[in-house]
Amino acid sequence: MSLKLRDLIRKVRACKTAAEERAVIAKESAMIRTAIREEQSHFRHRNVAKLLFMHMLGYPTHFGQLECMKLIASPHFPEKRIGYLGMMLLLSEEADVLMLSTNALKNDLTSSNRFVSGLALCAIGNLATADMSRDLAPEVDKHLKSSQPYLRKKACLAMARCLTKCPEMVEDFVDRVVTLLKDRSHGVLISVIQLMTQVLIVEQKSVLENPDYEDDYGTPCQDAFVKLVPSLVKLMRNVTGGGYAANDAGGATDIFLQVHILALLRLLGAGNEQASEEMNDVLAQVATNTETSKNAGNAILYECVQTIMAVEADDGLRVLAVNILGRFLLNRDNNIRYVALNTLSKCVVDEKNRRAEDDLVATGDDDESANNAASALQKHRTTIVDCLKDPDVTIRQRALELIYHLVNSENVESLTAELLNYLVLCPRDHRGDICTRVLRVVEKYSPNDRWRVDTLITMLTIAGRETSRQVQSASIIYISRASEDLRAYATHKLIKAIRDDDGSQRGLLVVGVWCIGEYGDLLLSPYSNNEESFSAIDTNSILETLEEVIGRHTCTEDIKRVALTAFTKLSERFANSGDTATLGKLQELVKKNSKSQTLELQLRSCEYDALINAMKGIKVASAPASDDIFGATAGGDETLSEAVIAAAKEALARMPVVDLRVMNRQKSSAYADDDMIGGLDTKPAAPAQKKNDDLLDLEDIFGGGAPAAPQPAASSNDALTNGSAPAPAPASDMDLLSDIFSAPAATPAAPATGMSMNGGASYDPFGSMPSSQPQQPPSNPLDAFAPTPTPAPLPTTTAPAPAVDDIFGAPAPAPAPKQNPVVQGPSHEGLSIEFECTKPEALSRAKSTLIAKFKNSNSAAIHGLSLQVAVPKYVTLEMKPPSSTTVAPSGGNSSAQVTQSITVTNTKLGQKNLMLKVKLGFTLNGAKVEHMATVSGFPAGEY
Amino acid sequence: MIRFFLLQNRQGKTRLSKWYIPPPTPHNGSGTSETEKLRIESEVHRLVTARDKKYTNFIEYNNYKLIYRRYAGLFFTIAVDLADNELSYLETIHLFVELLDSYFSNVCELDIVFNFNKVYSILDEYMLAGEIEETSKREILERVKLLEKME
Repeated sequence: MSLKLRDLIRKVRACKTAAEERAVIAKESAMIRTAIREEQSHFRHRNVAKLLFMHMLGYPTHFGQLECMKLIASPHFPEKRIGYLGMMLLLSEEADVLMLSTNALKNDLTSSNRFVSGLALCAIGNLATADMSRDLAPEVDKHLKSSQPYLRKKACLAMARCLTKCPEMVEDFVDRVVTLLKDRSHGVLISVIQLMTQVLIVEQKSVLENPDYEDDYGTPCQDAFVKLVPSLVKLMRNVTGGGYAANDAGGATDIFLQVHILALLRLLGAGNEQASEEMNDVLAQVATNTETSKNAGNAILYECVQTIMAVEADDGLRVLAVNILGRFLLNRDNNIRYVALNTLSKCVVDEKNRRAEDDLVATGDDDESANNAASALQKHRTTIVDCLKDPDVTIRQRALELIYHLVNSENVESLTAELLNYLVLCPRDHRGDICTRVLRVVEKYSPNDRWRVDTLITMLTIAGRETSRQVQSASIIYISRASEDLRAYATHKLIKAIRDDDGSQRGLLVVGVWCIGEYGDLLLSPYSNNEESFSAIDTNSILETLEEVIGRHTCTEDIKRVALTAFTKLSERFANSGDTATLGKLQELVKKNSKSQTLELQLRSCEYDALINAMKGIKVASAPASDDIFGATAGGDETLSEAVIAAAKEALARMPVVDLRVMNRQKSSAYADDDMIGGLDTKPAAPAQKKNDDLLDLEDIFGGGAPAAPQPAASSNDALTNGSAPAPAPASDMDLLSDIFSAPAATPAAPATGMSMNGGASYDPFGSMPSSQPQQPPSNPLDAFAPTPTPAPLPTTTAPAPAVDDIFGAPAPAPAPKQNPVVQGPSHEGLSIEFECTKPEALSRAKSTLIAKFKNSNSAAIHGLSLQVAVPKYVTLEMKPPSSTTVAPSGGNSSAQVTQSITVTNTKLGQKNLMLKVKLGFTLNGAKVEHMATVSGFPAGEY
Repeated sequence: MIRFFLLQNRQGKTRLSKWYIPPPTPHNGSGTSETEKLRIESEVHRLVTARDKKYTNFIEYNNYKLIYRRYAGLFFTIAVDLADNELSYLETIHLFVELLDSYFSNVCELDIVFNFNKVYSILDEYMLAGEIEETSKREILERVKLLEKME
């Protein structure tokens, strides 16, 4: 006995638990399956209806799919109807069974009953696959000409589906669409406009995805539809004039039709001056005359604004559009404010792009026009800022996004103040992101150094807990780059902030402790400027503050590390104060960590202790830790030479100003953050790599004339030497190297110590600029490690130039009998290419092999390298895969060089020269980089 | 273009779900397009019910946008492309509710539960292939009544 649908629904609703419901459904679906197996055709449509209900509840119903097919083929309308409903719900376009329905659909499309055809069109519109679209499109097309508006509108949308599935059919139907636009029925009009929109989108997508598409097929729709702009405009006027009053919804005249026409005009007007001109008036009319008290009116205005911004509208209209959005921002409805903020962000980005393009064309006029809309936008700044106070997070996020775009050098101070205010209120997990953005704003638009430092310190005080290392390091750098006066101000301000803080603002502590260490001497005198004044702080209370910071149990290791360095530096800063008690205490504090569980702290502690001692002129011989480092060749000397003392002082002295150029480069490398904050982080695992990058920085600074360094091991020491004192003459360099090699025991430890020394002295990770070093100590600081010079030059030190090349990663040219020409290829983001040209076959002069050699001057490896090459038609090309897709940073090891061989045959050798168009793609530090360039300059006549 | 139209009650029971663009089948083969639909439906329910009244009626979800509106205990949700006009889809939902209201004369959830097939046929006269087909209330309701007469 078969249950009625109504009874099944009642039964399910009566179930009290989910288990009960499952039982009812299981029983019923078993019944239905039996019915299907036994072909009980009289209950078929009732069963499918029940299956639909079960499907909606989320139970499996796949076994009913075939039943739907059978129902569709039934001659009775009610059965057909439920069959179609079932098909549209139970089947998706991926179902194989769908194929079976093609024939039934074809039959129904030709049915004389318009409702049957309507059902079939509906099914095609919702389900058709590409195959079905191809088969059924002619039948659908017939209905486009039907006398019934009911079928014409359904056919329009069904056709839209068919054409999105098979874009290649578009051309055949363009003419039909054009005639339909004259249709008198409202439903047909709205359908045909949507059909046009869909078709245009499909066409534009194909053109975008496939650059050849336009050449092969052209843009028939775009071409045909652009001609219709005047009729669309007329239609639009007709609608706004109340031509279709029967379709009022939500209090505005026919919102859906208006919105869809506007969307279509947008597609047609973008990038087309003439079409934009034609629609200008009607857009202005809609923008000014639409009723805004209801949501429906605002929907039309919103669409209109989007169209104005997208087409080539004149300035007045653009300003009008921005003002409409400004008015939206004052609306009490959050939805409307949301779309306004969203659209404004889009506009700002578009304007920026437009401007960038205009700059390329470089015409003054266009520049001004961009300014107009932008300045209209600036007028609504306060309203946008007010949105930051909204309870809805999405609104706040949108507003924030927009504010970032609005910042320029005129309003940076007020907007940053607002951003900092918001930083206090916003959820914790957004803070880090906002800080990074504020940093970017501050970097770009800051009016002066004081403001910048002030803003950064305020930001750290508010959100030091959440700031990224990048923000912390940038703050330190900006303080260190500032004037002495500003440094004093910043340090005073920071120590005050640290004292007021509860110790949870990690970022603040890192920056503050670093500054106290570096500029501690400045705290000893009072500071005042026009607005603020700080009284002098004595050494004791500075120490107390620092001790309190590291004494907290919440203090993290990196703060402890920075503090340790700070103590060491302070003992140099305070050395002249004559306060022996404080100095003693400082050394105590440094030593306290000599038995720390943490290797890093312990290492630092011991090294710094030795440094402080060295500065005082005391020789430490007993400590085994320092023995390794310093004592290797130190024999029985009890006192240190003047030179060593000077070197130790130099190591602890104020760091030189960081070169921004180098810093920016370093910023892109993952190491930068670590090194900056960890300060003295040593990474023995990758010393060679790091050294190399320092070297490369130096190489840059010296303008390529890098000092000679015969082998990687030496190069690390060399970097150190250069970090703290540039070697002016090659001769002294050699001495130095021989010094190092004469004390081999010291070498393994040297890189680590060296790094720390360097870090303390000059923050080498930034590749300190040696030329900015005030005075050069008379003797080389390396002597501290190898006090007894042995004049035994190693053979390598005298190695000729090629060896030097090796180290700097320049491809060492193989000692080929004949020098092959080398053509310089493009270089981008640190990756450069050279093409070495050879003639593989002596007889065929047209054929040549180019060996592309990749060189990576970044500090990080480049991954996923791909080189694409295009050649003119008279050249044939054959490429081999590259020897590796990963390019390690160049330097020490030239054996790892990545090469790729390209064979080209120039068929017009002698008449035309070889040219290449290359496209480089790679991933650097997780970011995808692409670059295109042209390579020419191959020796004329030969290649 | 509309990707799907959902009608759910506050408990998350689906009362109507119409997919114009089926969801992509998960790549790891963990389910079919059908199970994926169910998953998305329950996720939509979770997102929509958690929102405060003061919040916007739009949610950015995957690579499309959800526009929802609540009428008593029922949530109407439309998923549309990111570039689509949010405000006009709010009107789309409202017009659908008005249609149901005049068809059932003062509609309630029970009407929809017991006459779900009729609700679907109203929707089919209102929307097709993810686009709006007819916006005249009178026209749609006359059509649906004519269809009913044929049964």
